[in-house]
Amino acid sequence: MTFILTVISGLLMWGVVVFPIDDYLPRASSAATDIDFIFRFMAFFGVPILVYVNGFLLYFAWRYHTRKGDDLMAVGSDIHDQPALEAAWTIIPSILMLILGVISYLVMPKYYLASAASVATIEAVGHTFYYEFRYPGLKHPVENEMHLPIGKQVTIDLTSSEDDIRNAVIHSFWAPEFRVKQDMIPGMIVPIHFTPTRIGTYRIICTEFCGLGHSEMVGKVVVESQADFDAWFKSQQQLQASAGMQGPIPIANGDAAAGGRVFATKCTGCHAVGPFSERKVGPGLGNLFHDPDHPDLVTGKPADPDDVADVIEHGASGDLGTMPNMQVNQLTDKDVANLVAYLESLHK
Amino acid sequence: MSIAQLQAEASHAHIHPPPQGFIAKYVISFDHKVIAVQYFITSGLFFVLAGLLAELVRAQLMHAHNTLLSPQTFNEAYSIHGTAMVWLVIIPIMTGGFGNLAMPLQIGARDVAFPWLNMFSFWLFPPAGLLIFLSFLYGAPQAGWTEYPPVSLHTPGTALWCAGVFLIGVSSTITGINFMVTIIKMRCPGMTWTRMPLFTWATLVTAFLSAIATANLSAALAGLFIEKVFSVPFYDPANGGSPVLWQHVFWFYSHPAVYIMILPGFGIVSEVIPVFVRRPIFGYKAIAYSSVAIGLVSFMVWAHHMFTSGLSRWVQLPFMILTMAVAIPTGIKIFSWVATFWRGHVRLSTPLLFVIGFLSMFTFGGVTGVMLASVPADIHEHGTYFIVAHLHYVLVGGSVFTIFAGLYYWWPKMTGRLLDERLGKWHFWIAFLSFNATFLPMHWLGLLGMPRRVVYYDPQFEPTNMFVSISAFVLGASMLIFAYNAIRSAKYGKIAGPNPWGGRTLEWMTSSPPPYYNFAEIPIVLDGPYDYGKPLPYANISQDLATEPVA
Amino acid sequence: MATHALPVSDAEYAEVRGHRLVGFLFFLVSDSILFCSFIFGYLYIRAASPGWPPPGVERPGLYLAAVNSIVLFGSGVTMHLAMEAWRHANRSRFTAFIIATIVLGLGFLSGQAYEYTHLHDTWAGSTFGASFFTLTGMHGFHVFIGVIFLITVLLQTRRGVYDQTRYFGLTAATLYWHFVDVIWVALFFLFYVY
Repeated sequence: MTFILTVISGLLMWGVVVFPIDDYLPRASSAATDIDFIFRFMAFFGVPILVYVNGFLLYFAWRYHTRKGDDLMAVGSDIHDQPALEAAWTIIPSILMLILGVISYLVMPKYYLASAASVATIEAVGHTFYYEFRYPGLKHPVENEMHLPIGKQVTIDLTSSEDDIRNAVIHSFWAPEFRVKQDMIPGMIVPIHFTPTRIGTYRIICTEFCGLGHSEMVGKVVVESQADFDAWFKSQQQLQASAGMQGPIPIANGDAAAGGRVFATKCTGCHAVGPFSERKVGPGLGNLFHDPDHPDLVTGKPADPDDVADVIEHGASGDLGTMPNMQVNQLTDKDVANLVAYLESLHK
Repeated sequence: MSIAQLQAEASHAHIHPPPQGFIAKYVISFDHKVIAVQYFITSGLFFVLAGLLAELVRAQLMHAHNTLLSPQTFNEAYSIHGTAMVWLVIIPIMTGGFGNLAMPLQIGARDVAFPWLNMFSFWLFPPAGLLIFLSFLYGAPQAGWTEYPPVSLHTPGTALWCAGVFLIGVSSTITGINFMVTIIKMRCPGMTWTRMPLFTWATLVTAFLSAIATANLSAALAGLFIEKVFSVPFYDPANGGSPVLWQHVFWFYSHPAVYIMILPGFGIVSEVIPVFVRRPIFGYKAIAYSSVAIGLVSFMVWAHHMFTSGLSRWVQLPFMILTMAVAIPTGIKIFSWVATFWRGHVRLSTPLLFVIGFLSMFTFGGVTGVMLASVPADIHEHGTYFIVAHLHYVLVGGSVFTIFAGLYYWWPKMTGRLLDERLGKWHFWIAFLSFNATFLPMHWLGLLGMPRRVVYYDPQFEPTNMFVSISAFVLGASMLIFAYNAIRSAKYGKIAGPNPWGGRTLEWMTSSPPPYYNFAEIPIVLDGPYDYGKPLPYANISQDLATEPVA
Repeated sequence: MATHALPVSDAEYAEVRGHRLVGFLFFLVSDSILFCSFIFGYLYIRAASPGWPPPGVERPGLYLAAVNSIVLFGSGVTMHLAMEAWRHANRSRFTAFIIATIVLGLGFLSGQAYEYTHLHDTWAGSTFGASFFTLTGMHGFHVFIGVIFLITVLLQTRRGVYDQTRYFGLTAATLYWHFVDVIWVALFFLFYVY
């Protein structure tokens, strides 16, 4: 029996070794290789434990099962100790744990210590319910979409914050393809370091419950060539320069149809086109200007076009969460005017 | 010491007059066996409620963007599900239920050390549960059973949650002290430490954890409560507090708590196996001492729940090592239990089936636990469905399966009637298969990117979630089989004699159910209880009680 | 409290007393864990704060607290003397010292009340206030319960519940009172000295 179990074990262990993890979850950072190795190591030695325990258990239960007509008073063997066996099953797992501990220990610093200097430190701030990234050289933060050049180590300083610090909660920054996760804790700044190693677009997921919008707190990280990254960076600089905060934005002659397209891409993550009570994260905006039950905005001002434009321009904060301002949302002045026109055209 | 001397010592445990009237007998009872039944009934009720909440959660998760529950209701559902399962189901059943039912009988005592406190402990339990469920009226907690601040300070229900959990914590602490004194001081003559049944060993360590760790939880909860209600700054960084402080004090209790939830289960496994294979347990001392080791080390691993909370490497390292270390004594137990089957006479009755299911699933949960002990691996797994999978493997595949093993095993002792074997087997197989179908895929979901505590999720995970939800409904339905079996047994269950399974521990040496004074004469113990093949090791108990098992 | 109507033999009383003693000691251990948790919280916040005390917070004065401590430790001495008197069957001495202990305990509580009302910092006002008032408040509550315990014990002695060989209630009260003293040593050091 031991032989059969060893064979099964061997086959499964070989399966663990060859299993193509990155077909299912690509490896996109320097940390991912190490972590996948540790996973394989643990699964590799976990397999024989599971096979032997389950195997012998089922085998004994079958082999020593009382058959019809057996004397139910009969007793089994009275052997209740076997020092050699007990020593073996204490010492061997201990050694395996020790090895696992050492391997894990050797991998740990790679997250937590900047080995070579990182090319840049990016601040990542968790908000309810989006990520904000502050790049050195960009005047305003970028919302929910982080770009990184391939092959360059970066440091990300993680924290959580709100305009009113009393509303800040814990979030988490998890990029599964990078195998990187770190909680974003208000009042603390925690750095992590890694090098992106694969071009592509990957997810950033919040794994620490942060409120009603927790399941919708998903960001993107784009790993690209240095050239593409530079191009993106430049376009951000231009966008931020043009979207100034110089007084109220003129909202006359907004194009409702264009505004509808902007709304569909930028706003439906948090707002439904429906009645006020149809909350996603923020309230439904289908009846924004014509709702007798909710005549005021979250800022306390009445829902009229200028004050709505003001909210889109500067963002707003309340107990439903935080709405980013137009820079973070990457809206131009024209977008603001168009959005106001679109919202005015709704009547749900 | 001679038998005569042991006899003389034994006679001190006199029998007090019987309780009179319905209230004294069944409501405000000081009898540990009645109190055990009260715990079982109350926990059973909360198990149904918490289970329904879980089914509600799974119903919502059948689709990636289902509209069955609002985000708020969904969050409340999983939060109270977890809170209730931990504090209103598993801990009370293991300690107040099984500990009360079996331990005093196993040590040959007439009752626990402090019967009035035992009764008082129980009566704290229903109000605590009421407080927790009452929160649904005003907005229940949403941040899970762990209620991390600052978010728990900004969402409703936290104050009621703190009050309810605090109350059940007081109950747990008192029971812990009660059981420790009982086991240390009230073992019958001749029952030395190494002749004590393994369930009693497990209850002793569990009682120690309950008494010591729960006090810490009380402090944590008190802090959260006064911060919520009176704005006293402990955990909210806006006022200079620290959210990580909550995590430390919460987990310093909650990690030992998971051992409170499993150690009595280990004890049940150690009792059931020898009886149903008619062999001495393999490695008695190893199992007994490893329970003590697990209990002690359980206080030193709490921060493995916090590996992503910004702890320095030098703090993470010892916790990683100790977490890996605690797997060793657990492994020793599993291997010893499996070895006990070797050359036994195995009767695959329902209690043993649940034990076999446990051995399989808990080992799996243990392996995934080691996968979480390694800091770099945990970084990827934390806060995802991998954790949900692991915790359910050890708490359902582990604790709940041992609870059912214990229920099927001790049911005849408690009620005088046997549960139906066929229904029991149906229950086991449906539960075992649907359990694995529900929770095995969750490992995969977590590793691929599904976080926990989410009401909506990435549509790529929908087919797996649909499969999981349907399996979960089957798992819930399987419990109805047990409920039916339990109720049916009152009238149609076969009458059980004192020892229907052919056991050798003291609870089987008296009638089923026992009289209120447990034993006519305090037993005198001559040897350990698991030596099948030798005569019963009791000086003043008839060898006729070594009966032939009925199943 | 008697749980049996039947008279209890000396051997059985010794057994029950053993249970109660161990149980009570476990209770005191559990209670000290409660204090230790809050103390851990205090030290953690303190270590994580940029400066201590937090800005704008004045630490309470050492002098008043030192006097108050002497009052409390004095009550520990009188408690010890009361127990000695009991063991030597000197009822009147016992009563006098128990009353002295109660009076000193109440004196300590008054001192605490005076200090509380003369501090600028409030419970919710700062992290210092949070830890200070919670811990010393919890301790003060324990002293208050202790005073009730002592009054109860005094009344029980007048009712003749205890005798020269059976007086577990007194033993428990003494242990509890000394426990409260030990906790105060820790709190005094942590808030007024360190």
